[in-house]
Order: sequence, then structure tokens, then C-alpha cells
Amino acid sequence: MSITLILFWFLSVLALFSAAMVVASKNPVYSVLWLILVFFAISGHYLLLNAQFLAIVNIIVYAGAIMVLFLFVIMLMNLNKSNEPKRNKWLNLAGVLAGGCLLLVLVAALKNAETKATLAETGTGNIGLIENLGKALFTDYVVPFEISSVLFLSAMVGAVVLGKKESSPDTAGQSGKSSEK
Amino acid sequence: MWNEYLQLMKAELMVTIILFILLFLKLGKKERETVPLLHFINILLLLNFISGFLYNAEGTLFGDMFHTSKLLSLEKNILNLGTLIISLQSFQWLKTHKHIPEFYMLLLATLLGMFFMLSSNNLLMFYLGLELSTIPLAALANFDLDKKISSEAAMKLIISSAFSSGLLLFGISMLYGTTGTLNYHELSQQLSGSPLQILSFVMFVAGFGFKFSAIPFHLWTADVYEGSPVAVTSYLSVVSKGAILFVFVSVLYQAFQNIAGVWYNLLFIISVITMTIGNLFALRQQNMKRFLAFSSISQVGFILIGITGQSPEGSASVIYFVLIYVFSNLGAFGVVSLVSAVTARENIDDYKSFYKNNRALSWILAISLFSLAGIPPTAGFFGKFFLLLAGAGTSHISGEQVNYLLITVAALNMVISLYYYLRIIRAMFMDGNDHPIDKVKASLLPNISFIICIGGVLLIGFAGGIYEYIYSLVK
Repeated sequence: MSITLILFWFLSVLALFSAAMVVASKNPVYSVLWLILVFFAISGHYLLLNAQFLAIVNIIVYAGAIMVLFLFVIMLMNLNKSNEPKRNKWLNLAGVLAGGCLLLVLVAALKNAETKATLAETGTGNIGLIENLGKALFTDYVVPFEISSVLFLSAMVGAVVLGKKESSPDTAGQSGKSSEK
Repeated sequence: MWNEYLQLMKAELMVTIILFILLFLKLGKKERETVPLLHFINILLLLNFISGFLYNAEGTLFGDMFHTSKLLSLEKNILNLGTLIISLQSFQWLKTHKHIPEFYMLLLATLLGMFFMLSSNNLLMFYLGLELSTIPLAALANFDLDKKISSEAAMKLIISSAFSSGLLLFGISMLYGTTGTLNYHELSQQLSGSPLQILSFVMFVAGFGFKFSAIPFHLWTADVYEGSPVAVTSYLSVVSKGAILFVFVSVLYQAFQNIAGVWYNLLFIISVITMTIGNLFALRQQNMKRFLAFSSISQVGFILIGITGQSPEGSASVIYFVLIYVFSNLGAFGVVSLVSAVTARENIDDYKSFYKNNRALSWILAISLFSLAGIPPTAGFFGKFFLLLAGAGTSHISGEQVNYLLITVAALNMVISLYYYLRIIRAMFMDGNDHPIDKVKASLLPNISFIICIGGVLLIGFAGGIYEYIYSLVK
């Protein structure tokens, strides 16, 4: 068994276990911490595929920035036992059934699937390096890259308009938080 | 060489230029008179619409990433027309709004996204276009800034569209995993119909289903339509939905024609459920906007019948129907928008005895609803006629036989829909009311939009050349 294969199995088991724990843990803060572990394990997979840049970006953006946002939101939401919604037993059962069906279908579909798994390693196997990524981004994919700038512009405009809500007399009480500038 | 770029990307460049004019307008000065500003923007949109008819060319750019053709130019013109009409109709509402340039910037950003989505030749490009055409819409849904229900609508829209984008991306990534390409032409050669490909295709369709709100992916529709400002609701239900349907048809017919047997059954089931349940829910709505939301859901069911035709007729009939749908649905939404902006009343009960004080508006609403129901002299009849004709034809791609069950269900559903459309008309013309809506005075721009809509509804059905023209482009 080569070292790559051992690493692969280790990271896969780690990723799956932490993903299960994200769903299973009672405390939302623990869920978020498990989720960070999932991202680290996936970054490890990227490294195995020789995609260092993606691995680093995954850690910086997802494990760093987005998870901190998650934590903030969870802390602001003040989740505790008293305002936890009551769960319906039948709804749980339906969810388990639906999820189980999806799992069954996925396993059945993946079992005999013919994938182009070697695709990422075609050529020299260096496709995930930052140099090659930049080249692909600015030659083949230059239009999508430029369009995403319009997307960010419009998202920014939208956020500014909504964030700058001015309080009108009838909603001043309830939207007090958002009108503080 | 630059000439080629300018000509092929003309529609996108026009929208981008207007977007930047608006951006600089906003940056330039603090306060502006709203009415001249709105007139100016509407003139820009009119120029944009007119430019869509000039110097249209065919070709591909950026290594097969972007392509355009006469057919795509026509589809973009339809979307431009819808945007222009909505802009004219929202005059009354925007007159008192503080953020006019931002409203139009977001609106045009979504339009730009739709154009790129239509012109895409690649799933990645398509996905970015789709995101660009949905994310700003969530901000637009919140444009009644001091209403809580509007924020709720925006929240629901962004969560459901994020979820559907997730499904779509999951499908796309598995497709990429099994075929190794994102390009439509290469995809159509690589697809073999293996179980994994079918599963990813199902997710792909589910993502689409969310966007054009087919049942069972419709749960967000009514709430979002009810909470958003009417201009945004009509944009969502006409322009946005039309663009998604155009793309859906072209992706299915181009990239997925190898597995046409699979999606024929899928669309057949979705179409039957969508028509039936959409109609049954529309029967019991009290709010005008919710009512129009469910009516638009059931219209999507009819459009899916045309798509199951798997023939050039199918594609042509969908485009033709969306063109008519722009006129008839915007006619109805225009009246609701005007009444809502002036009196803030949106319930069906408020429309009782509407005819007493607003004769012209009642007739406009009535004709639009007749067209939506598909009653013969109006264009809606011809639209549905061609859809059903395409659905009843034998498929050119997979050789499916005529599905009489589907056509029968569609016919029955047309009868049900007639009932609830006529209910509104009865409320307007016959029912008594102690406090009917006072006379609503429309200004010049909404009146122009009503003339366009009613003209379209009454005349398009008789201008037989239009369908022939679309058909010749599709073939």
C-alpha cells in the first residue's frame, strides 16, 4: 500500500466521519467546528491531486472566512433549548426515508459508473498549480471570469441599498438594529 | 476584428453601457428629480430594444464559449421588450422611490446574466449567467424597503435559489465527471445514458425546475410573488421565467438529445403535475399576486408540453408562447401594479365592481386574462394551440408516439383554468361592492405599456407570419 493510498483512506474516513458529526452533534457550535475539520480533510484531498492552490484557497476562504461568519451567525441567533422548534416524529421518519432513498440511488448509480477520474491528471498532472490555473482562467475561461465581476458589482449594489435602509416612522421600532449607521 | 466583437456581443454591450451610465448617474449628483430621470432611463431602454433589431449577426467568440444567432437575437429582443414594458409600468411605483438608479442597475444586471446564459455554449458559462440573473433579483425583491413581507420574500428567494443552484451544480459536476467536458456539442456526443449520467441529469432538471417553478419545486413561488413589489413580481414571472425556459429548451435539444427518451418521461410527469396542482391551488387564492403566481405555474405546465414534442415545432412553439405570455401576463400585472401603487389594495375582493370606476383598466385586465386562459380571438389561444400541436406531434429525436393522455389532461386543465380566470372577470364586472376602487389615473408611460400589451394580445394571433418566422429560425 503506497503512502498516497494510505493518506487517501485516512482523509476520506476523516471527512466522512466529521461530516456525520456535523449533522449528529447537538450543539451548533460543535457542528461548525466539525465542519472545519471536513474542509481540512478535503483540502488534503486537493493536495493529493496536486492542486496546491485549490487546497490553500479552500482553507483560507472556507475554513477561515466563511466558518467565522457561520460562528458569528450562530452566536447572534442565540440558539438554546427553549426556542428550539418541536420536531414531528413523522417528519423525521419521512426525512430518513427520503435521505435513505437518495443514498441508495447514489450508491447504485456510482457503483458501476464509468468516470473520467484520470482526467485531472492528464498531461503533466500539474493542472491544479496556480500558474496553469491562471492560464486557463485568462484564456479559455476569460468571459466567465469577467462576467463574475459584474455579478460582484451587482451584489455590492444590492447589499448597499438594502443595508442602508432608512427607518420610516412605522417600522422604526422593529428595524432599529438595521438603521444604525 | 473589433468590429466582429462589437457586432456579435451587441446586445450584451448595450446593456452593459446602460448599466454604467446608471452607475455614473448615481455617483454624480446627490439628489435628482425622479420623473425626468425615469423618462431618461425609459428612453435608454427603448434605444436598447430598438438596437436589438439592427445589425444582427451569427457566430461564435472566445473559443466556443459564447455564440449568437438570429434565433438568440430574437429571444433577447423578447426579453428586452418585457423589460421595457415592466419599466414603463413601474413608473407609478418608482416615482416616489429613492433608489431608482440602483433598481435599474440590478434589473439590467439580471438581464445581462440572461443574455449570457442564452448565448452560452458551455455549462460553466451557463451557470455564471444563471447566477447573475438570480442573485440581483433577490435584492430587487426587497425593494419595498420598509415592508417586512418584502424582506421575507427576498430571503425565501435567495435561499431557494441558492439551494437550486447547489442541485444544479451537483448535477453539472457529476456530468463533468462522467463525460469530461462542459461544452454542449461535446456533451451531446459523450452522453451514453449511464445511471450516473441520468441521476445527474435529474438533478440538473430539478435545478431548472426551481427556477421556472414547476411543481414539486414551486414552494417559494407564491410567497415571493406576494411579497415582492409588483414590478419585480412581473419581472420574475415573465422575463426571468422566459429566459430560463429558452435556455432549458436549447440545452435539452442540443446537449441532451442523446437521452431524449429519459427526459420525455420526466417532463411528461412534471408537466401533468404542474398543470393540475397549479390550477387547483390557483382556484383558492384570495390575493391577486398569489393568484397570478399560481396561474403562471400552470402556464409552465403547458409550456412543458410543447417541449416534450422534441421537434423544431416544440422549440418554436415555446418561443412563440413566451412572446404572447409577455404581452398577456404583463397586461394583467400592469393593472395590478397600477392599482397597488395608487390604492395599496391587492385582494381579489377589492376588485369587485372595478368596472364601475375604471372602465378601460377593467377591459385591459379582462382581455389579458382571456388571453391567459386561451380564449380564441386573443393571442393566448394561438400560443396554447401551437404548444399542444407540438406536444401531439411525433418526436423527431427519440421517436416517441403521440401521447393522448398528456393532451387530454391539458385540455381538462384548460377548462379548470377558465373557471378561475372568469372568476376575476365576474368580480370586476358583475359583483357588487360597497367600497369599489376609486378611479385610478394612469400617467403617460403606463398607458403606453397598456397599449403595447393589448395591441400584442389582440394582433399577434392574427399575424401568422410571426410563428412562421420563428419556425424558420429554429429549423
